[in-house]
Amino acid sequence: MSRIPVTVLTGYLGAGKTTLLNRILTEDHGRRYAVIVNEFGEIGIDNDLIVDTDEEVFEMNNGCICCTVRGDLIRIIEGLMRRRGKFDAIIIETTGLADPAPVIQTFFVDEHVRARASLDAVVTVVDAKHILARLDDSHEAEEQIAFADVILLNKTDLVTSTELETVRRHIRAINAQARIHETQRCAARIEDVLERGAFDLDRVLEIEPNLLGEDDHEHDQNITSVSLSSEREIDPKRFMPWLRELTAKQGRDILRLKGIIAFPDEPKRFVVQGVHMLLEGDVQRDWRHDQPRISRLVFIGRNLDRTALQQSFDACIALP
Amino acid sequence: MRDTPLVQSHGQRIACDDGVVDLVWVGDVLAIALAGGAVQLVGAGSEMSVAPHRRAILCACVHPDGCSVVTGGDDGFVRRVALDGAVSDLGCFDQKWVHALTSSAESGVLVAAVGRDAMIWPRGSAAPSHTFGFGSTIGGLSLDAKGKRLAVSHYNGATVLYPLVAASGRVRLERGGSHLACTISPDCGYLITALQETGLHGWKLPAKMQLSMSGYPAKTRSFSWSHRGRWLATSGSVNAVIWPFTGKTGPMEKEPLVMGGRADAIVTQVAFHPTGEHLALGHSDGAVSLVRIDDGAAVPIDAPALSITALQWSKDGHKLAYGDEGGRVGILDMTVRA
Repeated sequence: MSRIPVTVLTGYLGAGKTTLLNRILTEDHGRRYAVIVNEFGEIGIDNDLIVDTDEEVFEMNNGCICCTVRGDLIRIIEGLMRRRGKFDAIIIETTGLADPAPVIQTFFVDEHVRARASLDAVVTVVDAKHILARLDDSHEAEEQIAFADVILLNKTDLVTSTELETVRRHIRAINAQARIHETQRCAARIEDVLERGAFDLDRVLEIEPNLLGEDDHEHDQNITSVSLSSEREIDPKRFMPWLRELTAKQGRDILRLKGIIAFPDEPKRFVVQGVHMLLEGDVQRDWRHDQPRISRLVFIGRNLDRTALQQSFDACIALP
Repeated sequence: MRDTPLVQSHGQRIACDDGVVDLVWVGDVLAIALAGGAVQLVGAGSEMSVAPHRRAILCACVHPDGCSVVTGGDDGFVRRVALDGAVSDLGCFDQKWVHALTSSAESGVLVAAVGRDAMIWPRGSAAPSHTFGFGSTIGGLSLDAKGKRLAVSHYNGATVLYPLVAASGRVRLERGGSHLACTISPDCGYLITALQETGLHGWKLPAKMQLSMSGYPAKTRSFSWSHRGRWLATSGSVNAVIWPFTGKTGPMEKEPLVMGGRADAIVTQVAFHPTGEHLALGHSDGAVSLVRIDDGAAVPIDAPALSITALQWSKDGHKLAYGDEGGRVGILDMTVRA
């Protein structure tokens, strides 16, 4: 049974989420989306596949201190699966003030949901005009950028090119790995936003490590990205225990991590993803022949010590 | 082991177009609630299909009148389907999902879970008379044998109340986390909930002494009490896990019976025979079997297909119906002699 792709749509109030949703639901792209929203009223479209919900977060009793999950999503996805075949993908809209972590964690911890649906991407709509003020006064705005795989930098017509450049730099400082699409009235191509699949993980391979030095922040940014790489292969016997220990200790501060790792004598790429203390990893498709076997690992979070992380990652290099 | 499934010689199979959500016996007639919104009524020599819901049916139960079926859908409707196929409205809750139903012929009450509210219909009522609200979405509903007391599970515990009394007091049972399906013992001595993290939590009533049962690899979705409440069978493991509820402390510090397991499959549905100590099991690989509690002897009823989603004995215990995710329904007739 193939898993239904799920896109999580976040963004601060007024950034343009509803505009984007309305575009997705009205454009003729031949795909059918089930949409889970918080406010029915905001969407002007009558669609059988729009489900209203309250954002009900609860804490798992699994000894993992920051593991909060959206119980409503578990129930709704189970319910939607009864209508399998009536839709191709699911979009979950979160309220502007929501922390995206519980939504993402739901797809890591619930076996039933995992078996039927897979998280495709977190898409964050950012208002170019107001985002700098929001970053100053709300940590939600910052977290929404930090958790994103795709960022729609919207309302670019309302700022000057200098202002836009400042915004870009701030976004990059928080999240070095997300793809950024600049838009007006959320006029993005649907295929840039939805059902991107493994494509976005490849993005990890494109990031230049250490592109952003610690000193680049003119702003007192809380959340930063650290990108590590190694041209030498990584020893799985060292790497996995290291990553588990790291996330157990610093999981609260690590919002997301993503990596593509080359293990010795393994023709396939090992792909690892994490949210806070939750990790999942698997060997996926082969490395491409024209692709150098460089392992890369990106962390997005608070209080990340780049030097210490690189050193401990280097300690996982396989000995010849 | 038999080569041909028992249902072929001692029953019948019915192929439906959609996944089976629930099965309800109304006397000799089996009502099959389907994911596409239809209800199929299968009686002796007759078959009829009606569509009470525009979208998916999420739950179904027998109407307290004992001669019709109640369905709840993700279209926000609660509807009654009579055996002649006539459909009538019991409630419409503006796009909310109606995700659980329970009823009692004894007290005449019908209860529906709609988001955070439990809607109550007293005997004979065509519309809800009152509502009990909770702080989070309802996980499950369960009535005791007399239909007097209602257990409602939700986030951070469960609540027991008298559903027919609009101003009923509430007994709050607290325990962190998300509580899903629940079941109250027939004598109302215990309330057991299924946890999101897998495993069960329970309270001995009225003292609220807590019990906890763990070790389940999957969430428990199905409970069944044996005749007179001596055993509680549960799904969510390779075997049926059957807890003893005898003595003063019930299952505390006792080992459960485990039986009926199949390799590489999880028990998804359990149903005790209404009078005997036989337990019917549905498995995630689609197999259906019957085990005897005394010695664990198992009889295969049907072969693997898709995961079993519903399992119901007729009230007289003469027939066992089961259904799966793919729309395969079987009815085993216990009165047939080979």
